[in-house]
Amino acid sequence: MRMLPVLSRLAWRYLWRNHRRTIVMLGAISVGAWAMIFMTALTRGMVDQMIADGISVIPGHVQIHNPDYLDDPSVSNRIALTDTELTQRFGDAGFDAWASRVRVPAVITSERESRGVTLLGIDPDAERTFSFVDYDAVDGRFLEDPEDNGVVIGAKLADTLETEVGKRIVLMSQDPDNDIADRGFRVVGLFHANMEVYEETYAFVGKRTAQKMLRIGDTVSEVVFVGDDYRDVEPVFQKVSAAVDDSVKVSRWTEVDTYLGTMLGVMDGFVLIWVIVIFLALSFGLVNTLVMAVFERVREIGLMLALGMKPMSILGQIIIESMMLLAVGLLIGDVLAYVTVKPLESGIDISIVAKGMEMFGASSILYPKLYMDDVILSNVVVLVLGFLASLSPAWRASRYEPVEAITKV
Amino acid sequence: MKKRYLLPLLLLALPAFAAEEERDATQIVRDAIDHWRGLTSYTVMTMVIHRPDWERSMTMEAWTKGDDHSLVRVIEPKKDRGNGTLTDENSMWTFSPKVNRVIKVPSSMMGQSWMGSDFSNKDIARADDIIDQYDHTILSTEVVDDMEVFRIESIPHEDAAVVWGSEVLAIRDDHVVIEHAFYDQDGELVKKLVSLEIEEMGGRTIASRQRMVKTDEPDEWTEIAVDEVEYEIDLKDSVFTLSNLRNPRD
Repeated sequence: MRMLPVLSRLAWRYLWRNHRRTIVMLGAISVGAWAMIFMTALTRGMVDQMIADGISVIPGHVQIHNPDYLDDPSVSNRIALTDTELTQRFGDAGFDAWASRVRVPAVITSERESRGVTLLGIDPDAERTFSFVDYDAVDGRFLEDPEDNGVVIGAKLADTLETEVGKRIVLMSQDPDNDIADRGFRVVGLFHANMEVYEETYAFVGKRTAQKMLRIGDTVSEVVFVGDDYRDVEPVFQKVSAAVDDSVKVSRWTEVDTYLGTMLGVMDGFVLIWVIVIFLALSFGLVNTLVMAVFERVREIGLMLALGMKPMSILGQIIIESMMLLAVGLLIGDVLAYVTVKPLESGIDISIVAKGMEMFGASSILYPKLYMDDVILSNVVVLVLGFLASLSPAWRASRYEPVEAITKV
Repeated sequence: MKKRYLLPLLLLALPAFAAEEERDATQIVRDAIDHWRGLTSYTVMTMVIHRPDWERSMTMEAWTKGDDHSLVRVIEPKKDRGNGTLTDENSMWTFSPKVNRVIKVPSSMMGQSWMGSDFSNKDIARADDIIDQYDHTILSTEVVDDMEVFRIESIPHEDAAVVWGSEVLAIRDDHVVIEHAFYDQDGELVKKLVSLEIEEMGGRTIASRQRMVKTDEPDEWTEIAVDEVEYEIDLKDSVFTLSNLRNPRD
């Protein structure tokens, strides 16, 4: 260990003796590190956005339903408690926000087209804070109260139906007796969402109006609760569970949208695999460089051995060389990644490929996110794997026979 | 019987009552429907579905009773024989012998085509909505072939489950509907049911051949011709049951 300062100085000098090769290698390592971090930041940003969007549509961090509702979201599977009872239980329970809603599949028909939609009977005031619809950005107006007689649909759906604000459409669904429940509604507003699929899927009407149309009295299909942090929904979950009995099922958002929930878990694994894949490509260059460095110095190494340097010190020196190379390369790569990601955090417009992005639920503006954990992970992985990769050339160098090595041409 | 478009072909057009009082629009529409319904009826009709590159025709028999009950069954062509539709108030069931199943038509399918024609399931099941879900006004009265014709505009109520902006009916003084036009909410004609032939059948003057044409696709139409009709016959309630839909009994 006392050899360390000497070895380090030798290693550092050697690196700059052949500076051109070192610079090329540094370039490769920095670009690799930059790619790892940059791509990770992009993917993180995409997934974060996807989850944020997804939760806003679910919506809420915790929901309660009839136990059968998630398998069969029909009007028959309503919550056993009436809306009034729900208000008594949750009204002052201290949730950031909560709302009860009627949510059933329906068919929307205009003069020319008809489409399947999800009919949402909502109390507009209760959902203002967490709805994925920005009430103020609605063309026309949003619903005003639960008794509102209008309907608000997505701008995209309005296009498909060839309808517009001020015209009437018909919503058709079923009542609990499987009889047809339908009613005409005047389109009062068109909402915009960052994903077209939402604009095509949802039709908002007043909660009371929906209950009347479906003949379900004072009952609802789901109740949604919003807490502080979507990553930690347990407090809300516990609180809601404590307030209800077995007649309803309480679910976290990860259970309501298992795809999104899984996404969150998969992401961490994905980052590691991504880092390893890039490193594998990088390691060929690294090993090659070190092997060359060793070959080039056979006589020199032989001389050092002949002068009494221990084989272990030779091994140490080569490894220190590679660690230095990697450390400097990573440092440059990290800085590079930081300066490229930061300016882009305000969003990258990728609307050219919006259709494709939508297929897996991401929107057309990408907000890269640099997480410290990801940066540390990629650096550590590169150093550890780099150490392993340099063992072989270093080992070989330390095994030379001094006499043979010195006389080698 | 709640077939808005089948209405005129089953229409019983009793000679106009002598009373010449000022009739209001709602009454005219109500009369037309009441007279077309009768108490009971039995009809054999042929439906021709025309498309630019193909055409097919189907012969069907239909029974109706009162406001709510109707049963339609296909006799020709052979491969469709036995396909049937039963309506009862607002519900509708279909039966196909090939799958041997009675299927309740779900609300999601009410907007879809009935037996491949230009009529929707809803048109068949919900025909008499026009009386109470609309406001009727007389647009004009004209005289055609010595017959007074009322042109009536029907505008659906705000919350009526109707997509049309308005419907315009031309009803003759003898309660025969000679035209039924559907306008969208911009006032543009979307589709139109026209009575092509009016003759006396089963003791009443009825529209014996009618054609439904969509304005956007003038080459596509569905025509219904009445081959045979009987009114006020004796029909048991058991005719309009699911078991009769499945297993026809005569």
